[in-house]
Amino acid sequence: MSRLRSHHRNIAWLVAAMFWLLAYSSGAGASTKSYNLEAILVADGVWVVAGSTENFSKTNGGNILNTGFIETGEGVVVIDTGPSRRYGEEFRALIESHTSEPIVKVLITHHHPDHAFGSQAFEPNTLYMLDESASLLEQDGEAFSDNMYRMIGDWMRGTEVTVPMNRVQPGLLSLGSRQLRLIAMQGHTGADLVVLDEASGVLFASDMVFFNRALTTPQTPGLAVWRSEIRELAQLPFSLVVPGHGPVIQDDRAFLQMIDYLTWLDDVLAGSAARGLSASEVIDTAIPERFSELEGARYELVRTVSHLYADYEKRALNRH
Amino acid sequence: MRRYWLCAFTLFASASWADLPSDPLGSPLWAYNIERYLGQDITLVVDERVGLSVPDFAEDSTQVPLAVNLREFPHKVMKVVTWVDMNPVPHLFTANSTDGQLKLVSLNFRVQQASSVRAAVLDEQGVWHIDSGYVDAAGGGCTAPREVLSNSDWESEFGTLKTGLFSDRGNTRIKASLLHPMDSGMVGNVPAFFVGAVEVRNEASDNLLLTMTLAESAAENPMFVFEFEGGIPLLSIHMKDNNGYQFEGAIGEASP
Repeated sequence: MSRLRSHHRNIAWLVAAMFWLLAYSSGAGASTKSYNLEAILVADGVWVVAGSTENFSKTNGGNILNTGFIETGEGVVVIDTGPSRRYGEEFRALIESHTSEPIVKVLITHHHPDHAFGSQAFEPNTLYMLDESASLLEQDGEAFSDNMYRMIGDWMRGTEVTVPMNRVQPGLLSLGSRQLRLIAMQGHTGADLVVLDEASGVLFASDMVFFNRALTTPQTPGLAVWRSEIRELAQLPFSLVVPGHGPVIQDDRAFLQMIDYLTWLDDVLAGSAARGLSASEVIDTAIPERFSELEGARYELVRTVSHLYADYEKRALNRH
Repeated sequence: MRRYWLCAFTLFASASWADLPSDPLGSPLWAYNIERYLGQDITLVVDERVGLSVPDFAEDSTQVPLAVNLREFPHKVMKVVTWVDMNPVPHLFTANSTDGQLKLVSLNFRVQQASSVRAAVLDEQGVWHIDSGYVDAAGGGCTAPREVLSNSDWESEFGTLKTGLFSDRGNTRIKASLLHPMDSGMVGNVPAFFVGAVEVRNEASDNLLLTMTLAESAAENPMFVFEFEGGIPLLSIHMKDNNGYQFEGAIGEASP
């Protein structure tokens, strides 16, 4: 009996030691992870935090998007919160290091995880989203979260899906010295918020615009819808475009690239369906040289075929 | 430890199937599934001209595109067998090309986890040619609830058959899309309900061009693509499910 007890005690020690080792080693690992965010001043009081144009990976931790913040004189407006709780916390600290104004409004442009998963780091009553986006986040959030844990691993630690408690309406948002024009669009996910700062002309286009990065289509209502909205964006009085992914740009080149690429994608899908091609063959379509600067074009073509081609195929067939 | 176990398994496998070429993808299920679907005492060669095409990753684990493009295959095609190694029931389909003129076959599959995928083709001399692909996947495709359940009018859409005839470089290609849940029987409280047999005929000569059997790995709402050598102006397709429903249509002339 006493032998059995001492045996138990040994096992208890062993388990304790294993936990300690585990906690210590992963703790040490966590402390080395940092997004090293930097804010770039693109206009008076308007800041952009630029990410890479890569795909999600355990190396980049999902820092593949652009976020931003605007000082209004009566508080800071934040645009998107990033892919993880850790990003959100670093982003908030970065904002607070650049301005003494309080954060009063955090606008989440759409429900995709890379834009909406840093929200835990901000005060719940400052979080805002379009009504339709909030429903989509409610519906898809957990599945996105599972996939994010799979793709970026430990960077996601502690991240929980946070649906903003406030809704934002399209129209003019006046705050301090700023007039922000809030525009609701649909092309990327069915509910996409675009923010134009009227004073500086900085246009936070979010994922309505990808520049030098292939656009993603999992929830698009259609390529034609998206393209016509890009034409609307191009009419706005902007001085600088901040795309959701890719470098900021001062002229209309991002819009032209979007229109060109959306048109090409639509033509490839429709043309392939008219020729009777299978999805496997469409995936192998040659990508024109002029899109060589678009990072991830082949990868995104595989995804787009999966999202959209079946509808093009069915339209090209006859019903019995 | 796992590696040793794998080595032991491989040794065992190679001892009992001594004549098989080694698996280019190193899957532990290589020999097992070959014997299961192609039989024992077969002649098998690894051959890229089988032209199996699958994406590197499954964007949607319930709909992963697959094509076997036999245009570069130098022999007559008597039979095509495809399977997904790591699926609960790996088999996807077996297509018999009655006159050996099959040039392409394509059908979406479900994937339960990242897996190697195989296409084996039997030529006129009785030799099997096999090609492999690998699909990375989050998985769960075989046990996901069907999508049509969330669509309230699925019963009125059920059985909708759409077809098209296409010609390409002198060959004849047909496409047929059927709205059918293709329930594999692996989802709780949903009994198996799927199309198990497909036939394609040359309507002019009444020759049978192809017979196909489908298995559990086949995806919901199947889209079949077949290409045959030469021009065939009028064909027909016929499908039957395990509840006795039959779906058929003529394909040709009036189609685009």
